Amino acid sequence: MFYLGISAYYHDSSVSLLNSEGKIVDFKKEEWHSRVKGDKSFPRMALEEMINNFNLNEKNIKSVTFYERPVRAWITILKHSVKINPITNELTRNFFKNAFNSSMRFQMDLSKHFNSSKVEILYADHHLSHTLSTYYYYRDTPSLSLVIDGYGDKYCSSIHLIKSEKEIINIWNSEYPNSLGLFYSAITDYLGFEINEGEYKMMGLASYGEPIYFEKLSKTIKFENDKLEIDTSYYDFVRRVDRSYSDLLPALFNLPPRNSNEMLVVGSDDFKNYSNVAASAQKVLEDLLERIFTYAFNKTGINNFLLSGGVAMNSVAVKKISELPFIESLNVPPSPGDSGAAIGAALFGFIKDKDKKIDPNKLIDNKDLYPGKLVSDENFFDLVLDKITDDSNSIEETSKLISRNEIIATCYGNIETGPRALGHRSLICNAHNQDLIIKLSTEVKKRNLFRPTAPVVLEEFVNTYFNINNSIKNCYYHMSSVATPKEEFKNLIKGVIHIDNTSRVQICNNDQLLGKILTYLKNDKIYLIANTSFNISSDPMVYSKEDAYLAMVRMGIKYLLTEKGLYKIK
Amino acid sequence: MILSPEKNKNLLATILEFSYAEYGSALEMLTAAKKTSNPKLKVGYIRHALDEYRHTFLLHKILHNQIKNGIGKFENKYRFSPKNVIAKGYIDKSGFLVEKLKLKKFVEFVYSNEYLAKQSFEYLSKRISDTNSLNTINEIIKEEEGHADDSLTVMDDIMKDENIHHGMAKKFYLTKFSEAQLKIAFTREKFKNRLRTFYFKNLKFLGYIFDPILNFLISIFGKIVNLISVADDNDKNLMSDKNSNSVV
Repeated sequence: MFYLGISAYYHDSSVSLLNSEGKIVDFKKEEWHSRVKGDKSFPRMALEEMINNFNLNEKNIKSVTFYERPVRAWITILKHSVKINPITNELTRNFFKNAFNSSMRFQMDLSKHFNSSKVEILYADHHLSHTLSTYYYYRDTPSLSLVIDGYGDKYCSSIHLIKSEKEIINIWNSEYPNSLGLFYSAITDYLGFEINEGEYKMMGLASYGEPIYFEKLSKTIKFENDKLEIDTSYYDFVRRVDRSYSDLLPALFNLPPRNSNEMLVVGSDDFKNYSNVAASAQKVLEDLLERIFTYAFNKTGINNFLLSGGVAMNSVAVKKISELPFIESLNVPPSPGDSGAAIGAALFGFIKDKDKKIDPNKLIDNKDLYPGKLVSDENFFDLVLDKITDDSNSIEETSKLISRNEIIATCYGNIETGPRALGHRSLICNAHNQDLIIKLSTEVKKRNLFRPTAPVVLEEFVNTYFNINNSIKNCYYHMSSVATPKEEFKNLIKGVIHIDNTSRVQICNNDQLLGKILTYLKNDKIYLIANTSFNISSDPMVYSKEDAYLAMVRMGIKYLLTEKGLYKIK
Repeated sequence: MILSPEKNKNLLATILEFSYAEYGSALEMLTAAKKTSNPKLKVGYIRHALDEYRHTFLLHKILHNQIKNGIGKFENKYRFSPKNVIAKGYIDKSGFLVEKLKLKKFVEFVYSNEYLAKQSFEYLSKRISDTNSLNTINEIIKEEEGHADDSLTVMDDIMKDENIHHGMAKKFYLTKFSEAQLKIAFTREKFKNRLRTFYFKNLKFLGYIFDPILNFLISIFGKIVNLISVADDNDKNLMSDKNSNSVV
């Protein structure tokens, strides 16, 4: 039997599949198929591929769980908007008009794939789906799960006490519109970056600035008397659809909103001013997170934490929180955002199934970062690429090219679950060569110079190069936090150290693709690989071999490593 | 860049719309590439997609040139967001055309729309006078024309392939288009495009009719919604208390 979980209609829709043992056997995002970054449509193509790969039908699917309660989610925002805005308000009108395009059409969309009267359909609370998506990977109990995101169902933040998989107690919430995620997105919007996409850029930018607006910005959102409260007079996400901040915000900084049409040039006045805003917002976020974590600890005395929701993707904040004295462990799942919540939704269906027969002593492998089946076609490669070598020694050849300072693209086996490229859909090169990394980032990826590139290191060398905080060590396997480099090696790995003296490290074992490459590279005294996602700006990560070839041409990449061999463009 | 103010009115928005159309076309072609198992065709579709991606990028460059030259002021609504390709209907939510249309219809669609695109670009080029942007548009026009011709070649290739794999030589000749068929397809697509333009041009007018109805509905529904109380989850066991089948 299988258990499906679906997340859709807000951003990054996805579908996940658990087998009869409760193990993820597939996970797919719709954007990988549609090629529309952040695609929020019902995951039609992703689901179709899964149905074909696993022969899914009404007889072998035990349940399909949607990751939120649609009517509850729709009513909450509408209710708030009607309360504070006039009838003619554009947000209210937009919300009303789009009811049919919202998650309320879930059952209708699902019925195009399955006879919904023959499959059990479940609805999990949005934040519970997030909590379960973390619990899937980290089963120690008791633990505290903090879910911090923009908005879902009724809440923007939650604290759940996990006593067991059947006892998850909701102990605190912050209701809409008091949202840390929406606050951070509003500043992202003010800085001229796109919401749900530019938050990474803002985090990178923050490292260049000074938090000179911290005091002022702190007055617009605070955690007082155990409550998170936002002053919506500064934030228009409660009344407009085209802008998330009000005119009071630019007045607060005495700085106009950044024009997204203009490049941010490192060192310019604009760069300095806007990086100061980003740094201030980052500090406010970290400060409020620390307060919420402290509240959770004081209330329960539990020091084993899980963190999910879109805010959990802020790897800098994760490190900051981990430094709180009471934290024993802090774990973030590989896909902490809404797309990953599909995993939690599927797990909800699995736990709820009273008929399942599992061996309680059998441990499932819940650490697979690349679950799933991908049927790929690379026959056409013969027409456009030259095969350098087949799979038998492609990894060794790849390491030779890396040591010769070449940039290699990978489209190897199945894709990573989370938002970070962990080797299977990556652009990799020698991390000891700073100029090469700058070329990779700016010329190949066409990113702003202020965005960092991440290093990958074998587990045996991680403590040589980085100061690793053990409470968040699990996060480093999927790049969910940052670490500071060891002083004595800083000069050797400058290209993968951000301006704030941190690196978003990925630790890998030698049974993973990048681990195998690094094992060969040791002979050439290369201990770190620089790794960035294989996609052009504004596109999703490449998924299929067709995407890979297209991206190679668009980005001017010469080499491609797949599970079938190493290729060079003709 | 010199343009009369009347003509400049919506130029930035027009260029942006063109870029969405090209982007949508790139995604269609890429999907077509994934759907075919014929390596030669696959590469052909990918090359077409590459051109359309490049056109999208070039159109953004043209848009920025217009702003640099003082034609309008940049606003966030001119920011290209890939997600809008679906919201604006350039990609249908229910599926890509290659998934929904029969092969013949798909090729007809591509052929007709590439010619229509060429015509639209010619019209656009009349509104732009800076040499760089104009050269870029002329380059795009040439490629669009090439794509339209390519689509017929593609059809030949597809049918040859069918012939090889399924011994359908006769079918190939029977299904190959006549001039009349192409004309019909072309007129149909042109009419559909006109209808779309008419609809968007008259949205404001439609608003006068439907807005009061919408306001009335919101005022009634708003009152009902305010009466609905969504229960708090405080101190509840989320795994046992609730009805897992409830949408509220």
